[in-house]
Amino acid sequence: MRRSELIFERPLDLQATQPAEVRGVSRDQARLMVSSERGHAHTRFTELAHFLRPGDLVVVNDSATLPASLPAHHSDLGVFVVSMATDFGNGTWLLEPRWSTSQPGPLPITAGMAITIGDLPTRLIAQYPGLPRLWFAQVDGDVRAAMNRVGSPIRYGYMQESQALSTYQTVFAAVPGSAEMPSAAYPFTQRVVDSLRDNGVGIAAITLHTGVSSLEVETDVVEEHPLYPEPYHVTVKAARMVNTAKREGRRVIAIGTTVVRALETAWNGHEIEPSRGFTRVYIHPQRGVNVVDGLITGLHDPVTSHLAMLYTIAGQSTIREAYQEAVREGYLWHEFGDSHLILPADRRELPDIKWIEQTA
Amino acid sequence: MAKVAVITGASRGLGEVLAQFLAGQGYALVLTARHAEALEKVAHSLASYNIPVKTVVGDVADAAHRRAVVDAAQSLGDLSVLVNNASDLGVSPLLPLAEYPLETLERVFKINVVAPLALAQTALPALKANGGLVVNLSSDAAKGGYPGWGGYGLTKAALDLVSLTLANELRDAGVSVVSVDPGDMRTVMHQDAFPGEDITDRPLPDVTVPFWAWLFGQDRATVSGGRYAAQAESWEAANATV
Repeated sequence: MRRSELIFERPLDLQATQPAEVRGVSRDQARLMVSSERGHAHTRFTELAHFLRPGDLVVVNDSATLPASLPAHHSDLGVFVVSMATDFGNGTWLLEPRWSTSQPGPLPITAGMAITIGDLPTRLIAQYPGLPRLWFAQVDGDVRAAMNRVGSPIRYGYMQESQALSTYQTVFAAVPGSAEMPSAAYPFTQRVVDSLRDNGVGIAAITLHTGVSSLEVETDVVEEHPLYPEPYHVTVKAARMVNTAKREGRRVIAIGTTVVRALETAWNGHEIEPSRGFTRVYIHPQRGVNVVDGLITGLHDPVTSHLAMLYTIAGQSTIREAYQEAVREGYLWHEFGDSHLILPADRRELPDIKWIEQTA
Repeated sequence: MAKVAVITGASRGLGEVLAQFLAGQGYALVLTARHAEALEKVAHSLASYNIPVKTVVGDVADAAHRRAVVDAAQSLGDLSVLVNNASDLGVSPLLPLAEYPLETLERVFKINVVAPLALAQTALPALKANGGLVVNLSSDAAKGGYPGWGGYGLTKAALDLVSLTLANELRDAGVSVVSVDPGDMRTVMHQDAFPGEDITDRPLPDVTVPFWAWLFGQDRATVSGGRYAAQAESWEAANATV
């Protein structure tokens, strides 16, 4: 697939610059676009249960967000910040040095350089191959403790102000480890969860700890864009729930691209195998998907690898059409923005409920 | 005492990448290869990491050299990692097994199978004392049955079995052993396999850095006995609890 196939126009002002908490509304008031074979409908996230069926299995990511942005220092460079992307174990981290929250790198740093993160002595090991803004580093000391002392949630320039860590936790958050919120589940509230259960929708959980956001695809061939590995865990229980649903012909709906990646990693060609490891599986149309029948996700920026995953699940034309709708309807992008339910094979009439503004 | 890593074939390619990576993790290093000049160059390139580095020039097929390598490691600290990266491709260009010169095959077997095992044997007391890890570099030629790759491939298949058997034998002694297939890379060895051909579509050996970060981040006992592909899309420890 060519890079040009991932390009679309997204007006810059269509982005959530504040979380629901600050806007004084419930998270589940986010708008929800539902894309199926019957077109695209527009509703609120509170109404999600109407678009799912009894027996559907929703799979969520239970990773909780860390205060992963830490102050850093180097004798020549002065003060900067690092986003601690991924804990590889034994003190080795993948991280992104930035001048500041709003100003990305690259910084003039070199392999072997000694820096301080929080108050922890750190040695830069090597750049990530093909992603020079990311570095492997060896940190001497307790990074989680440093995060708790001086860390804050990773925040990008479009966010108006810093927010409490709790703002970056989804209702499913249970296992700390993500550098950035697995944000597809941000609009979920307890009442939405209850409405799903009341309608006979099952919920299973996997864990995938997100790293830092990927940047635009720069390679002309989309499949050559490097993804970096992230830790994941598919438990025996989650594997059993997904396998049973597949065997009984019930739909498996992923909440977030992280869930798609974890499930496709654990797929052995016949079924989901309980497993734990690091994955950089890249879902693009050439590779295909084997497990998920649908996806709830936020709206993704142009020229990102996530779009290739959406194309894989629903086809390029459906997604392009949906994104034109989203722009026309003024949907908001980014982690605190609006939501998109993609059910490619769903041929049912979209529910005839008065709050739906059906447009296709 | 410093933790020490030994890397064979450290003068170029994958060995050089491993030297940088382990230097970054704070290991004191013993680097060995046959060519002094290239080896010294790699050692000097590690100055910024601020760790002790010793070079020992020689051939891993030579028992006295192997003894010197292990002695050098023990003089620096606690030998905790042994990377058997040095490897002999055999004839270049490659030849099918039906025509393979047997004296070359014996030499390749000696360097690719006997020498890594011998180095592990020599280092074993230190590895046992330090909960050590042995990393043997394998190849997909060990499994593929690719025409022309039989001579090299059979030695790597044998090395895979050395890794697995050693892992099973040494588990109770606290020594871990893994086999790693680094995948196709743009290295001198790969060029030797395809003399005159353009191999620039292959990635440089630093493509394996994320894998080394993963491998050396794991609890050693959980990875022991595993065979891992460094360019795979996911890595799961052989003995991970799920």
